[in-house]
Amino acid sequence: MAQISGSGPPPAVGVGSVAGAPTVAPQRRATALLRAGQRRADWTPYLFLALPLALYAMWVIGPMFYSFWMSLTDTDGLTYSEFVGLANYRRLVNDDIFWVSFWNNVKWLVIFITVPTVGGLGLALLLNQDLPGTRLFKAAIFSPMVLSSAVVAAVWSWVFFPQDGLINSTLDLLGYGGERIGWLADPDLAIYSIIGAATWRQIGYVMLIYLAGLKNVDPSLVDAAKTDGASSWRSFRDVVFPLLQPVTVIVVVISVIDALRAFDLVQLMTRGGPYNRSNVLGFMMYEEAFENYNMGYGAALAVVLMLISMVFIFTYLRRMLKDELEY
Amino acid sequence: MAHDARRERFIDDVLAGRLSRREVFRRGAALGFGASALAAALAAGPGLARAAQEAGTLNVSSNNSDPEPRRFMEEVTVPGFTTKTGTEVELNTVNHEDFKQAIRTYLASGDPPDVLTWFAGNRMRFFVERELVAPVSDVFQAEGWETAYPEGILAVSKGADDEYYFVPTNYYGWAVFFRPSILQQAGIETPPQTFDELLTAVDTLRQAEITPFTLGTKAPWPAAAWFDYLNMRTNGPEFHVKLTDGQAAYNSPEVKETFANWRRLLDAGAFIEQPEALEWQDALTPMLQGEAAMYLMGGFITDSMTTEQEQDLDFFSFPKINDVPVGQEAPTDGFFMSAKAKNAEQAKQFLAYVGGRESQEAAARDPELARIAVHKDVPLDIYPPLVQKQVTLLQEADYITQFYDRDTSPEMADKGMAAFVEFMNNPDDVDQILDGLDEERKRIFENG
Repeated sequence: MAQISGSGPPPAVGVGSVAGAPTVAPQRRATALLRAGQRRADWTPYLFLALPLALYAMWVIGPMFYSFWMSLTDTDGLTYSEFVGLANYRRLVNDDIFWVSFWNNVKWLVIFITVPTVGGLGLALLLNQDLPGTRLFKAAIFSPMVLSSAVVAAVWSWVFFPQDGLINSTLDLLGYGGERIGWLADPDLAIYSIIGAATWRQIGYVMLIYLAGLKNVDPSLVDAAKTDGASSWRSFRDVVFPLLQPVTVIVVVISVIDALRAFDLVQLMTRGGPYNRSNVLGFMMYEEAFENYNMGYGAALAVVLMLISMVFIFTYLRRMLKDELEY
Repeated sequence: MAHDARRERFIDDVLAGRLSRREVFRRGAALGFGASALAAALAAGPGLARAAQEAGTLNVSSNNSDPEPRRFMEEVTVPGFTTKTGTEVELNTVNHEDFKQAIRTYLASGDPPDVLTWFAGNRMRFFVERELVAPVSDVFQAEGWETAYPEGILAVSKGADDEYYFVPTNYYGWAVFFRPSILQQAGIETPPQTFDELLTAVDTLRQAEITPFTLGTKAPWPAAAWFDYLNMRTNGPEFHVKLTDGQAAYNSPEVKETFANWRRLLDAGAFIEQPEALEWQDALTPMLQGEAAMYLMGGFITDSMTTEQEQDLDFFSFPKINDVPVGQEAPTDGFFMSAKAKNAEQAKQFLAYVGGRESQEAAARDPELARIAVHKDVPLDIYPPLVQKQVTLLQEADYITQFYDRDTSPEMADKGMAAFVEFMNNPDDVDQILDGLDEERKRIFENG
């Protein structure tokens, strides 16, 4: 992460990379110092890293490999454990519930990348102006984020309640009553209803991140664009949005991670039902491992979920590192 | 207190072996010690009583997390046991649903609770097979429970090796509950006895614009009650038990007939719309508001009703379909003892206490609890009339089952109950659903 800019003091020890140093002389000096540092004590960083690495290995890497091992057994997490090779994975690809859950995660992912990002950005732009009452709106829109999932789920379960829930009552009032829609009971609607509740919460969060990003956009650039006669839309498209790009990357990554680890609202609002149509991989894993006593199968699900997450995380990391090197 | 001091001295006397057998019982009883505790103390010799005093605390894990059962456990059962035996109890109550998962870790840990609440039947055998539960046949014999408990209950307290592992305390029945006033309003004077009468009643209620059956399948288990009863009435309880044991096929002609009967109810419009949106308590509301007439539910339905509402509540046995023996669901709750219990002797004393008449009668007499005691010496007339009627219903049954999610493996229950809800949504897919279910059965029961 360490970048050397200007002629500030170079790092004493060779942690991090030296890239794009502006002038030749300091670069040489830094390189020389680095070499010296390496020769003198190239174990020093590892000494500093030893404790965190040990903990990381114990609490993250270790369990990861243990889960992988479990996924190759038929253990019930209790008493017996027999090596079954890839049987759990074979069962997985033939399991309808797995595919339903997988596609539900995909739906969640797509909606989470698009809706809160656009909505949150729009709200941020709207509320970034010095108008009376914006603080109140900012607080109101962000407030769902500080609610616990249990509260969000309880509130939305009521909103979705078919008999006298908020949505159906409103529809009644507007004259679109008729058949009461079971938002969480309809097998085709349930997952979208849950994603809707999750999006409601996510928008405020995304808005806050964008608001912080907007504070870092140099207003003189926007003024300059305006002076050059750019319309508001032009100045947004060609000046503000490109400057917000790092923020957008963060927002998308957060949304991807939140979509993949979706669990709490599903567990609280439908328990994956009706008949697993609103299931997601995280909840399916929990059910198999802890309710059906299939630790091995649950572990296989966890491994698959991790692999999917890794695709996104590696893409993100590669981009991040590349961007950093290009600055 | 003087009484306590006398008890202390008495315990010391027993420990030192200073008293004769007769003396122990005479003085012990006067001081409030139970006969079984004294017998156990004598049988095991002074060492046991010493251990009982020193090891002291018995560790009990309970899933009685609902307000009334919890209160009873904390304020009646545990103090009663401590007064009787002098053994202190450390009670750990865990939310009912969480307990189902936590119990595995409890039992498998190196330092498990001594005694745990649990369910009779296959749910108990799951842990017996894994050698995590201690056999307690000696307690059954010492207490004479083999003649004190009903046959069906004894059967679900045994492991596959014919030893007793589970001490049942109470059970509740299932039936079709209804509001007599609503049936009368629709012109139905006598509750349906046969399936045809039931279908007629459904039609009549529909014409009167009353929902015949309310149901909540957001948590899917109430749908399993429908499956259990339809299958038992169609194919008989013995076939049903074979099926839940994984010995019969879900796509067999027998099960298909069960689902054909279910289909007839669906086609007749027997059920409330969108049961998937409702928890079982939510589903009670339409019935209390007079929009629905009947509810296939457990005896605990009254827990969610006021005394006034209970005045207009009655039930009938699920109607007969084919000429087969009558099975009834009676899920039985109770306790078992961890195989690695540190305080094994006190644990057995505790089991002897909760399995005994005295403690079960207290639970039956408690006006808010009204659990049906397992012990046959608890007089019938202490129950409210509706509960008395349930006891009669169960005593007349040819066969007692524990409910789908207790009779079959947890995993099969999960798949099965989802399938029942799916069937109610898409009855046309019945063949595909049953084929899928049978694939699951083969896989689950093959693994054992």
